[in-house]
Amino acid sequence: MARPRTFDEVAVVESAAELFARRGFDAVSIDDLVGHLGVHRHSLYRTFGSKRGLYLRALRAVRKQNSSAIAAADDPLRILCAAVVSEGIGGLDLLLMAAIEQGAADPEIAAEVTGAFAELDAVTAALGDGTMSTATLLGLRLRARAGDDVARLADEFTGRTQTDR
Amino acid sequence: MAEVSIDGTDLVVRMAGLDKLWALKSRLVIPLANVRGATVDPGIIKERKGIRAPGTHLPRVITAGTFHIDGERVFWDVRDPDKAVVIELADERYARLVVQVDNPADVVGMIEKACAR
Repeated sequence: MARPRTFDEVAVVESAAELFARRGFDAVSIDDLVGHLGVHRHSLYRTFGSKRGLYLRALRAVRKQNSSAIAAADDPLRILCAAVVSEGIGGLDLLLMAAIEQGAADPEIAAEVTGAFAELDAVTAALGDGTMSTATLLGLRLRARAGDDVARLADEFTGRTQTDR
Repeated sequence: MAEVSIDGTDLVVRMAGLDKLWALKSRLVIPLANVRGATVDPGIIKERKGIRAPGTHLPRVITAGTFHIDGERVFWDVRDPDKAVVIELADERYARLVVQVDNPADVVGMIEKACAR
């Protein structure tokens, strides 16, 4: 009998998501995952099948987390705005990294990413054109990652059009 | 070194040249339905390998054959760890295969695509 699982799968997927969001898929080695997640190599393979298997799990977990946070919120735009200006690494970053790094080469990952973007569009539709609004907010997220202070812009973008309505 | 290919609904792993001897196995055929994924993993060579039976283990030269670890059977055929690929299986004699291939990224892409989940 194989040794039973002795780790918290949800927590492991969450830390993997953060690592992938920070560095991307290719730059994270199994050595990195074993070191950061505190899971034995063989357990990692037994549980997730492969690095890509774990990556897909992380991507799907982030998407599910996003949509339940959106569903539960009184003001989902405010949550989205907070994610855009956040100093930490979050779900949006994983989506952006996945879109850039894996999107063209991996249809399964591309489907997750475009699905997640469509869910964001449904929220940002409150600002007018959902797709364009999501694009603006994701663009602001990129600027934030590059070190720009985008807080005022993000507030204005989500606030101003709201008062116009 | 191993050659990995897909033949219909099977994954075929063929040991090349003398590796047949060291690994005591020339060919493995696994239904794709039992393949869970593949990963490029140069670091796995530094892991504990477990008990070898049967096969060959000359550290830093070749790791080949069947190894028992944590109640699992792992098949190894690796000389150059930079080209090591881990293929995870389910419901098979081996829990996973660790084999050296010529073009690790291509082999991993091919397997991951074939066993899409």
